[in-house]
Amino acid sequence: MSLPESMSRIVIVGTKSRMDEAIEAFYQLKALHLIDHTTGADGLSIGTPMSRNAKASERLLKVRAMEKELGIKKHAKTPKVPVDEIRSQINADSVENVEKEIMSVLDRRNDLNQRITELNSKKKNLELLGPIPVDLDLYSGYKTITSIVGSVTEDPTEVLKTIGDIEYFVSFDKKEGGIVAVFARKSDRDKISAALVDFGFTEITVPEGKGPVSEVLAVTDEKLTDLNGQLESVGKELEALQMKHQTFLKASDEQLSIEIEKGEVPLKVAVTEYSYIMDAWVPTNRVEDVKNELESKLGNDIYVEFQETRGRRMEEAEEVEDRYKKVPTKFNNGKITKEFQYPTKLVSVPKYQEIDPSVLIMIFLPLMFGFMVGDCGYAIPFIILGAYGLKVTHHKDWRAIATVLFFGGIWAFIFGFLFFGEALGMHFVTGEIENTIWGGGVNVTWDMLLGVTFPEWFSGLLPFGHGVGKLEAVTLLLKLSVYVGIVHLMIGYLCGFYNKYIQHGFKEAFIEKGGWILSFIGMVVLCFVLTQVMIVEEASIVIRGQQVLIVTAIGFILLIAGVIINFKREKAQAILELPGMVGNILSYTRLAAIGMSKAGMALAFNYIVFGMIVGIQNGVSSIIMLILGILLFAFLHLVIWTLAILSGGLHALRLQFVELMTKFFEGNGTEFKPLKIKREKTILTTENINKEV
Amino acid sequence: MADVGTGLIAIGAGLAVGLTGLGAGMAEKDVGAAAVGAITENEALFGKAMIFMVFPETIVIFGLVIAIMAIFIM
Repeated sequence: MSLPESMSRIVIVGTKSRMDEAIEAFYQLKALHLIDHTTGADGLSIGTPMSRNAKASERLLKVRAMEKELGIKKHAKTPKVPVDEIRSQINADSVENVEKEIMSVLDRRNDLNQRITELNSKKKNLELLGPIPVDLDLYSGYKTITSIVGSVTEDPTEVLKTIGDIEYFVSFDKKEGGIVAVFARKSDRDKISAALVDFGFTEITVPEGKGPVSEVLAVTDEKLTDLNGQLESVGKELEALQMKHQTFLKASDEQLSIEIEKGEVPLKVAVTEYSYIMDAWVPTNRVEDVKNELESKLGNDIYVEFQETRGRRMEEAEEVEDRYKKVPTKFNNGKITKEFQYPTKLVSVPKYQEIDPSVLIMIFLPLMFGFMVGDCGYAIPFIILGAYGLKVTHHKDWRAIATVLFFGGIWAFIFGFLFFGEALGMHFVTGEIENTIWGGGVNVTWDMLLGVTFPEWFSGLLPFGHGVGKLEAVTLLLKLSVYVGIVHLMIGYLCGFYNKYIQHGFKEAFIEKGGWILSFIGMVVLCFVLTQVMIVEEASIVIRGQQVLIVTAIGFILLIAGVIINFKREKAQAILELPGMVGNILSYTRLAAIGMSKAGMALAFNYIVFGMIVGIQNGVSSIIMLILGILLFAFLHLVIWTLAILSGGLHALRLQFVELMTKFFEGNGTEFKPLKIKREKTILTTENINKEV
Repeated sequence: MADVGTGLIAIGAGLAVGLTGLGAGMAEKDVGAAAVGAITENEALFGKAMIFMVFPETIVIFGLVIAIMAIFIM
């Protein structure tokens, strides 16, 4: 069983003057999981970030701002820059220079944008004023007269007529509303505004200018075109700048982030005036290596001391200080199993002291997926798609899906070829001709469809000579599902037992999990007897007469013994959980049910296409119908194929998560995160690979 | 014409799947809403949310098993 990798705790003490170098060395090891220092009983405080961090943060802020302004995408592809080069560029104030260059263009763009907005609103007002025959300079500049100008939604002419001593201009259109300009005494202003409110009056400011409105409008338009032209050229300039500086910005972004991260390490360790002390978890098999490496690099300025190798027993964790209690989990998996860590992590990271379920998921998830799909025709696209996905994608979500598709596809092919003997819902070999459309039934088979006869040895490979029919051998499939379920659940219970055994010892494990195992076996035996007595036909009964009583008794004894053991810990839960066990087992019948549902759909679709549209049992009626049929065939099977991913994948996953993992998995661990740097935009050249990260 | 007994079996099987489907749906409605809420708050809860989400499904699987047994075995 795969437990997480064994971990050891070390303490590193060093002189503060060479801390910078030490941090570089830590990052190079890629094996130190820092334990945060908490200011507490020992009276030591945490360190402060490296002095260079302030400057680096400031620069990083600028770089990120520029990236945003220039619209450089997060995943933009840029060539890699050697670290030495980018570092010397940054130190030579390149960030500041580039910023100056970009900011001057950006300022111009913002300025232009502002002026264009202003002109646009002026233009809008001018267009509104267009229908009124008054020059712009005549709207203002009087001692006693004021002008009230605005848009209205209803025609105010009638009301304005009744107010004496004013001059007014109204232009109104029923659809678009209108504009009104009233010239009156300054003292009458409020009165007129109030009168106009009823007509949906909104005042507008009259733009400054001289002469007729149309002339001013023409001048404004000219200015706008000019400004828009300028804006366009600024846009092009910015684009050119983006191309020019993209590589530098991306590389410096990464380099600065790395520098800052390294500079913040002192925040996690304890420091005194002249030294620092830090605790870290290291994989046990690397302790010596870490010690030698650090001492050879820093000589007498560093001291590494081994503290403990943590075992899996929970008592060990109880004895130590709080911050040493939780051990990080370093997955201990091979290349293929690694791909299945993703579903485990979806639930939780395993604890240091428990089995990592990734291996079990690797075995059962594709197997169950394959069983539910169980069809060569769907399996081949799955395999191709999965292999392609695994080859091209590096995104972890997609990789997880591609992995399941690839391995699930292989299982689906094996089941489809050797067990069900079918592709695209059609058996390779015809069983009984009466069931096929050629004999008046609804099935379609490949050998009849293609007019070939498969060799004898081929049908000899398949169960029943033609493969298991998903819709015919229902009892067999249901039984098989239940057996798979029993094995799967038993593995779950045993893993639970093993977890408790390594955590607390055999006695505790037996009390906590042994009871469940006993009652599970008892329940299985009882259910077996029950089906024998009640459901199974006379011919296939295995136990009869006295044997029934004996087996029932064994089942009962196991069940009761299990309940008694459990009762101590779980109280009434020990009894209430019993029906749940049957539920868990029956839950696996979905393996058969989903296979059946897909087979049912495929059967119907094949009958529609070959039996009804093409009418192949009477010889092909017409070429058009044949082409139509084949197109429909492809489309309908694509539907089933897509559904197979969803239902097959999700239900296979669910069986792992709910039925299997709840039996033993506790999770809530912390993942092992060593100090290390992943470079994407910058590279280390061969000369500095030894002295840098 | 199939006899009345066969018809009754078919109705029984239909009721078994249909009613359990309704039950599971009603339960999943509540669980699903809560699960989506929880996931938006904290994405790490996805796995646990999914486990809770599929608990009620067991009901409909029971219904399905009964239906299958009714049709194929009785």
